[in-house]
Amino acid sequence: MYSSQPTRFPVTHKSVSLDIKGNKTDIVICKYDDKFLVIVTQIGCMGTILHARKEGSVSTEPTFSVSVIFGKRDEPWLLACGRQLIEHISCSGSSRPLVLSLGLKDHSPETLKELTVAVIENCLW
Amino acid sequence: MASKELDTSFSELLVTEGSDSVGQSNKLEGQGSNDDAQITCFTEDLHDVTFHFQIIKLTKQIYVWIGCNTAKFGHLYAAAITRPNKTVAVTPVLGGTSDNTGSGIARRLVLKTGLNIIVACNIPKDSPTLEVTAERKLFEKLKSLGYIKPRPEGLPVRSAHN
Repeated sequence: MYSSQPTRFPVTHKSVSLDIKGNKTDIVICKYDDKFLVIVTQIGCMGTILHARKEGSVSTEPTFSVSVIFGKRDEPWLLACGRQLIEHISCSGSSRPLVLSLGLKDHSPETLKELTVAVIENCLW
Repeated sequence: MASKELDTSFSELLVTEGSDSVGQSNKLEGQGSNDDAQITCFTEDLHDVTFHFQIIKLTKQIYVWIGCNTAKFGHLYAAAITRPNKTVAVTPVLGGTSDNTGSGIARRLVLKTGLNIIVACNIPKDSPTLEVTAERKLFEKLKSLGYIKPRPEGLPVRSAHN
């Protein structure tokens, strides 16, 4: 489902709902002046929240920093998902950091890959 | 006959009347059957400041963003009721460790709604008037959306077996 914003509201958002391995998954992507927010939920709440940003100067290869700021700190695939997305944001030309929330029923690599693809397909960057 | 048995059991049922009528709950579970994320965006233009609000209602949590003149993300706080005391715990999640603008809003939202709340807020620090105004507008909207059920004032929640 695509939802468009009246031009006056300064934050653009997009929301989709899809099925990933039998679990209904809601994805909301918001674009603020200085950040992107991506909410992915299968459990009705935001779950684990990660912060991902690009570091490094213009002249060097960018490096990325991804960390869990709220929730599960022992699920490496969540960090991998954040890393994929921040790199995609960077490659699209934006330096904005990403706040990513993942409230998932299952943390398998297949689920994370599918939702990463879904977020990229519906991205606002 | 069967009707006599029915009369007897029916009168027994009447004895237990009132055990579940302890007042309105302010929980939202079962409020609507819509499981999708519900997004509401609106802007309030006041004389010298513009507030932007974004409310994303998930099944068990509400995310709120409050923008004061700009669309910067601001500081992020998480707040919820803790068991068993039913006090409110608030924590800064991103930014906000030295500037608590937004944490008070998160805390009072949970106190009044009983919901899990995530608040992002870019109201400048040391602006209590702006905080109060934004909170009031947000509240009115949450009520009008039906995300807050009015709680009868002063009505204690207690068991009927007293």
